[in-house]
Amino acid sequence: MKPFLDFVPQMNDIDLDRIARMQKKMEKRQASICSERALLITESFQSTEGEDYVLRKAKAFAHILKHMSIYIENDSLIFGNQASCNFAAPIFPEYSINWIIDELDEFHQRSGDVFQISEKVKKDLSGIASYWRNNTHQDEVFRNTPETIVLSEKQGVLHRGGISMSGDGHIVPKHELILEKGFRAIIGDAQQKLNETIDHEAQIFYQSVIITLEGVLVYIKRFSQLAYQMAEGEKDEKRKAELWKIGKMCETLMERPVQNFYEGCEVCYLVHVLQMLESNGHSFCYGRFDQYMIDLYHSDIQKDILTKEKALEVITHMFLMNSSHNKVRPYGHTKFSQGYPLYSNLMIGGRKPDGVDGSNELSYLCIEAMNLTSMAEPNFSMRYNQDTPADLLKLAAKLIRTGCGMPSMFNDEVAVRGLMDLGIPKEDALDYCAIGCVETGVPGKYGHRATGMTYVNWGKVLELVLNNGKDPNSGIQLISLNGRTDSEINYESYDEVWDAWEKLLKYYSDLAVECDAICDRSLAKYDASPFASCFIDNCMELGKTLKNGGCKYDVISQSNIGPCVVGNSLAAIKKIIFDEQKITWEQLLSAINNNWQGREASYIHKLAKNAPKFGNDDDYVDYIVKDVFDSYLKLLPAYKTERTGKGPEISCYTMSTSNITSYVPNGLDVGSTPDGRTAKSPLNEGCSPTQGTDMRGPTAVINSVAKLPNSKVAAGQLLNMRFSPGSLAGDENLNKFVNFLQACILKGIYHNQFNVVDSKTLLDAKEHPENYTDLIVRVAGYCAQFVALMPEAQNAIIARTENEWCM
Amino acid sequence: MSDEGYISTIQLYSTKDGPGIRSTVFFMGCNLKCKWCSNPELLTPDVKYMHFEHKCIHCSACVEIASNHSITFAEKGCRIDRQMCSNLAECAEICPQNAYEKIGFEISSEELVHKLMRDKEFYSVSNGGVTFSGGDSILQGDFIIDVAQRLHAQGIHIALDTAGNICWEKMKAIIENVDMVLYDIKAYAGEIHKICTAVDNTLILSNIKHISKMNKDIIIRMIIVPGFNDDMDDVYQRIVFIKSLGPSVKRVDILEYHNLGSGKYARLGIENPIQQVICNNYSLLEKVKKIACELGLNATILQ
Repeated sequence: MKPFLDFVPQMNDIDLDRIARMQKKMEKRQASICSERALLITESFQSTEGEDYVLRKAKAFAHILKHMSIYIENDSLIFGNQASCNFAAPIFPEYSINWIIDELDEFHQRSGDVFQISEKVKKDLSGIASYWRNNTHQDEVFRNTPETIVLSEKQGVLHRGGISMSGDGHIVPKHELILEKGFRAIIGDAQQKLNETIDHEAQIFYQSVIITLEGVLVYIKRFSQLAYQMAEGEKDEKRKAELWKIGKMCETLMERPVQNFYEGCEVCYLVHVLQMLESNGHSFCYGRFDQYMIDLYHSDIQKDILTKEKALEVITHMFLMNSSHNKVRPYGHTKFSQGYPLYSNLMIGGRKPDGVDGSNELSYLCIEAMNLTSMAEPNFSMRYNQDTPADLLKLAAKLIRTGCGMPSMFNDEVAVRGLMDLGIPKEDALDYCAIGCVETGVPGKYGHRATGMTYVNWGKVLELVLNNGKDPNSGIQLISLNGRTDSEINYESYDEVWDAWEKLLKYYSDLAVECDAICDRSLAKYDASPFASCFIDNCMELGKTLKNGGCKYDVISQSNIGPCVVGNSLAAIKKIIFDEQKITWEQLLSAINNNWQGREASYIHKLAKNAPKFGNDDDYVDYIVKDVFDSYLKLLPAYKTERTGKGPEISCYTMSTSNITSYVPNGLDVGSTPDGRTAKSPLNEGCSPTQGTDMRGPTAVINSVAKLPNSKVAAGQLLNMRFSPGSLAGDENLNKFVNFLQACILKGIYHNQFNVVDSKTLLDAKEHPENYTDLIVRVAGYCAQFVALMPEAQNAIIARTENEWCM
Repeated sequence: MSDEGYISTIQLYSTKDGPGIRSTVFFMGCNLKCKWCSNPELLTPDVKYMHFEHKCIHCSACVEIASNHSITFAEKGCRIDRQMCSNLAECAEICPQNAYEKIGFEISSEELVHKLMRDKEFYSVSNGGVTFSGGDSILQGDFIIDVAQRLHAQGIHIALDTAGNICWEKMKAIIENVDMVLYDIKAYAGEIHKICTAVDNTLILSNIKHISKMNKDIIIRMIIVPGFNDDMDDVYQRIVFIKSLGPSVKRVDILEYHNLGSGKYARLGIENPIQQVICNNYSLLEKVKKIACELGLNATILQ
């Protein structure tokens, strides 16, 4: 298979064999648990009792960096490790410890996201557990969580994932600052500010920054020693020279500004690893890599010390090394985000702060590097607009076509407008990047997770509308709609149903905001991250950590799951019961409670399934889904963040439909719904149509999504689409797909991620055609049937898949 | 001016029915009967019902209400005596599994245009548009002229996919209102054409000759179906004829046979004229392409 999409190497600088070896190693990696960080932080904390927590964190960080095992991968130009071996997850006892001890014997038995764990590591972790019990972030949250929130979790409406037991993550540091100054100069700044301030909090913060950055410089110099050692024993001349170069580089790395492109890549990678080591959050991102690295690239090329091929090699190594990192989560939460995800987003393309499109040579090289990498990290995304070069779009389309689902595409026009509507100035809005999966923010100026505070299961809220607020599974009722304490309720009109939805939505959204605040108050202490903070405006200026109000823009959101299931259900109720009066409310409830079983119930099931569905460009249901979005958006201005008035220039809530995989476990908690969905089946993903209900092709999906208030979902409106391989095969189809992307800009779509299914998935499509109604067959003059894929069409697509990927 | 047309589907994101991203309207009714037809549901203009046996769960709802006991259980799905059954519509409605699909409905030109305009951004960025297909839309000439004129008023490009088997006077009026013609030439010799499609091709060949002088872009479709119209002499005659049409012919698409429509026959309860498995001969297709290119035609094998 051809290794490059379009790139034609002129020089011999890129060692493809070595890249293939590294790629294989990463592909075959095994996850394990490492106890080093846990032991070292415990040691450090034991010696800093009584000190300010932020200071303790900083000292612990420095202690870890001084003593942890370090290594340099034999084949890699890029180095820096988070744990003692490849793909090992460090442990962060300061955030939570109980679940770790509970699951010690279960990590390796999981059915997904398995972690190997040695007896020694189990012993290490058991040994330190008692120091941390009752003193973790999770304990603090638990102590402060009122009964109503606990009950709403038991109902299955609210879910606190990371925020109650992990750090926030979701940070994009100001890379330009780091590259231009180096850590030593930032230490100098902190020292000066420390001398000038009399504010206690600020003093602690600056001290923490200094201790942290000094610790990092020690860590870097350890690599110098290691590299020289390895060079001495290295037989291969080329590798020997490379190791020697690393040794030399690390003597002064970050003691001064970055000297060249290679150093720059290494620094970006190091900052990433170190943030991952400081906090057990994830989504520590690279931001707009092609924008802030382009000057170094151009300068090196001009000076003749770098070739395109070498640059591609370095970038690819950097990309590949991202697959060496890992974080472990409780098994229950893992189902909400499967696949060892880290969401280290790296974004290319898009307008610069002056409004001109910034696509450059690095944008193209990054796509080629991602193609060579073929792993899930970094989480690769692309900004585009009407001025994006068509050939860059086409190259991106070629990458999408390989089936990796990347880059996911972000529409500049909508994303920028969304941020400006929050009050963010135009130049900053134009500089946006993706954080995590779909969340949008301003690099170097956003503090916290822009999305995914508390998760709210809207499918469950809908179920409560049907049951007078009483959850059928748990029997818990926190609020009654008609005053009764049982689940009996009758609605005389659609308006009454709508009012009930709004009432319950407000109740649970208010509760979720309270839940966010409880977690945030605890995170301010336990997730104090001086290393992350010193690279974000305005922490250094204000002398505050991110969580205490140091960031310039404090914009957060929850994660709301299942808006299309809700909209489809309301539309079905309106149409079948109230408009057409085909059945009564009692008949619908009865059919739902029986999960559509029985003669009458299965007829009602058909009516429900045949009711209009979002994603088919049908105004009737599409505008009801829009209403659902609006019903939540109008609540937001009343919500305040914990940092309001404490420093940020903007503090507010916005909306996001970035759900990762939570639509699956959320669906498990919800019975049948009026849209015809069967009990326990998944809700819809993001704002995408519910699987199996969009049947008119991709333009209809876009037309439906275009009716939603996308720019108001300013923390990312997630849309996932599937294409059959045949629809992107060949140059002509690829061009039409690029046109399709361009049309999405005009239609005001926020985000789109494309999954081009492989032949394995297509075999599943044969077995379950009802789940693949969105896959399109296009043959000249052939009327592809409205209903599902038929066996002969599936065979045709499968046959094409085998043939059409050797381009 | 006809108010209503009979169509089965408006297919969106069509990538094989002309340039750019298009919407293809499939019209009911055709005056050919090609043995390899992949849209048999469009052969006649009446409403029909397809039965999907794999969706049937033998609940007997339709069996119970079907007139004259015209529906019974088959081993898989239901057996429908379509001559005897006078209430198939009700049976379709009552089926809880959506195992019956109604094909064909009436639509006004205004409503059709309104629906087609919803994808206008996709047409404009890709230089795409709308394609009339089917069946054969020329049998509803007045209607498609009306729709075409309305679409043109909105700047939409129109392609006509047709077999061309009507009198020239009617054909001319239609062609004047479209921008591009996708034209099937299924055989050259009349006898072969009749065996394959049940009709003579004199009108078809003379029509395209006229069209080629009208300054409209033409794409010729040449399907090659092994055992039917793959006689090399006749294929060569086809190519020579196409060449004679001159510069209006922008491209020749060589189409392989596909059996994607074969399941539809069973679902409609009609006999499939092709019972055997037909394998495409790819070296033959390549040969055809080579000959066409050597004669100076822009030939491709369309996949």
